[in-house]
Amino acid sequence: MGRGRRRHLRTYYGAAIWSRPAVVGAGRPDVAAEVFVIGLLEIRRRKVQFALITLVVTLISYLVLMINGLGVGLNEAAGSALRSFDADAIAYSDQAGLSVIRSELSAEVAGGIGEAAGAEESAPLGYVAANYRDSDGVVDSAAFLGFEPGTIAEPKVTGGRALEPGEDDGILADKTFLRASGLDVGDRVEVSVRLVRREFTIVGEIDEGQFFFQPAVYITRTAWQELKYGASGADVPFASVVLLKGDDLPGKRGEGFEAVSKSTAFANIEGVSGQQSTVTSLRVFGYVIGALVVGVFFYVLTLQKVPQIGVLKAIGASNFYVFRQVLGQVVVLAAIGIAVSVPLAWATYRALLQLPDAVPIAFTTGTYVTTCVALMVTAVIGALFSGRQVIKTDPIIALGQQQ
Amino acid sequence: MTTLRVRDLSKTYGSGEDAVHAVRGVSFESAPGEFLGLVGPSGSGKTTLLAMIGGLLTPTSGSIDVNGLEIGQLSGRQQAAYRRDRIGYVFQSNNLLPYLTARENLMVVRAIGAKGRGAAGQRADQLLEELGLTKRRNALATELSGGERQRVAIARALMNDPDLVLVDEPTASLDSARGKQVVKSLIEEVKGRGKLGIMVTHDLAMAELADRVLEMHDGELTRLREGVA
Ligand SMILES: Nc1ncnc2c1ncn2[C@@H]1O[C@H](COP(=O)(O)OP(=O)(O)O)[C@@H](O)[C@H]1O
Ligand SMILES: [Mg+2]
Repeated sequence: MGRGRRRHLRTYYGAAIWSRPAVVGAGRPDVAAEVFVIGLLEIRRRKVQFALITLVVTLISYLVLMINGLGVGLNEAAGSALRSFDADAIAYSDQAGLSVIRSELSAEVAGGIGEAAGAEESAPLGYVAANYRDSDGVVDSAAFLGFEPGTIAEPKVTGGRALEPGEDDGILADKTFLRASGLDVGDRVEVSVRLVRREFTIVGEIDEGQFFFQPAVYITRTAWQELKYGASGADVPFASVVLLKGDDLPGKRGEGFEAVSKSTAFANIEGVSGQQSTVTSLRVFGYVIGALVVGVFFYVLTLQKVPQIGVLKAIGASNFYVFRQVLGQVVVLAAIGIAVSVPLAWATYRALLQLPDAVPIAFTTGTYVTTCVALMVTAVIGALFSGRQVIKTDPIIALGQQQ
Repeated sequence: MTTLRVRDLSKTYGSGEDAVHAVRGVSFESAPGEFLGLVGPSGSGKTTLLAMIGGLLTPTSGSIDVNGLEIGQLSGRQQAAYRRDRIGYVFQSNNLLPYLTARENLMVVRAIGAKGRGAAGQRADQLLEELGLTKRRNALATELSGGERQRVAIARALMNDPDLVLVDEPTASLDSARGKQVVKSLIEEVKGRGKLGIMVTHDLAMAELADRVLEMHDGELTRLREGVA
């Protein structure tokens, strides 16, 4: 048995990718350029072995994609809202050590920063973490950012409407907030900081992301003062930071403030630098272990093929020719493995988004492309192990004599 | 037209206590269109001699001149090109690639860059036909009988239209009547084109087909006798 079935498979796959051998006496001249790549033929004939290797590549690739997606997601949770600020620099109190949480600016300092730093535009922004009750009555926290409508600190409204100046009971809620809270534009939210308790109405939806691992919510600066300090006016701090737009702003210091770039500000978000190095290490380990596993698999495969490599070399094949076959196999299998892992990672990503407690995960086209390219490169590097074995194989083993 | 001149050729495996002098001081010449037989007891150095002529083993001393080319002096890369372009080798164990069909095993020769008469596919089909393998051409090497495999190996050795055909004990797995037939057509192919052939054999009936028979003993050429044919 098996014969008929094999022939069937051969015909099936042969028709798809490789031209079939010309039939003798079929009255048709032989095609001169018969496609004949031994490495690829071998994949067809040894499907089980190669399918297993492809599976390993798929799983490794899936793992690395997920690590990258989680890393990007974690970064976004840390402060995608900061990254989407319409600003070239952020000014902190010079006492704050670049901590948004500890930075407090008086009206006098905040008002002078724009001019002192030589910015074209500037806008104060307040930050406070506050608790709210979601649609099920469960308490959760969000990042409340106080801004003045009409300044560069104002977020772009994607649904509902913008906040009017002085509309101190209105909220612009980020999509992540709406998803986490189960609330919608038009709903009322009860918000509390320590003993202060206020009611807001969600008037608009924004797409700014997250801040300090919490969904971002924008309110007026005076509402922020009320929320954070229980009062508004001249006796309480005016803002946490000041957003600046203009040239050469990062590094500027002045009376009571220092300005840094957005990326410096991001890296100084509490916990981010530690998290960044963890994520980077995970990625590096993912790639290195991926390369090793793929490399070792192909190396073992190459070791099994030593007798056949010996024959190829004995009939005059160059090292380069034999290595090209191995390399071709690695590229084809890695491409298949990676190609399968991408929709798999995407499906997992979609599934994770459905979870009530959203896992911080994000995939950008950039994540996919870099990950796939990096995996292909590591697979090829892994294949170089096999190249060494190809060179080492002595064609006299084809004589079938013991060494 | 192929000429072969072997001068004082020696091969020693290993060194010191373990040294094996597999071939010692072998000299002979061969004219175009000649088909030589090589006989001798097991371990007398036949395979070693053949492998040196075929560019698989580097001689310890002496010279091998094929059409003016000194084989012993070639670099590894040149040796490979020499094997690919000038040599058709039928190994003692037939050494087909197991995951390829009979026909594909022939195609490999062209795939690695060897030249030959006509389009690869046509030449492969022609050789398969000459060796009575047309029906089996799409069978995997592992599905072939020992004799069929040996015939495929012979066909493969002719794919690059070699100057020198080297055959190491083909009869081991060739049934005798068929075997004689196959060797006859191999000899025809070689002689007809002014090439050279050397065939190691145990089988006297096979040796009779050769123009001359070289006999080896303990690494030395002991006798050179005329064949019957
Ligand atoms: N790779 C090797 N290393 C060491 N000794 C070898 C090797 N190949 C062959 N020999 C020895 O060389 C001698 C000649 O071997 P070989 O050429 O195979 O003889 P034959 O083909 O006539 O049987 C034998 O004694 C054999 O054991
Ligand atoms: Mg032998």
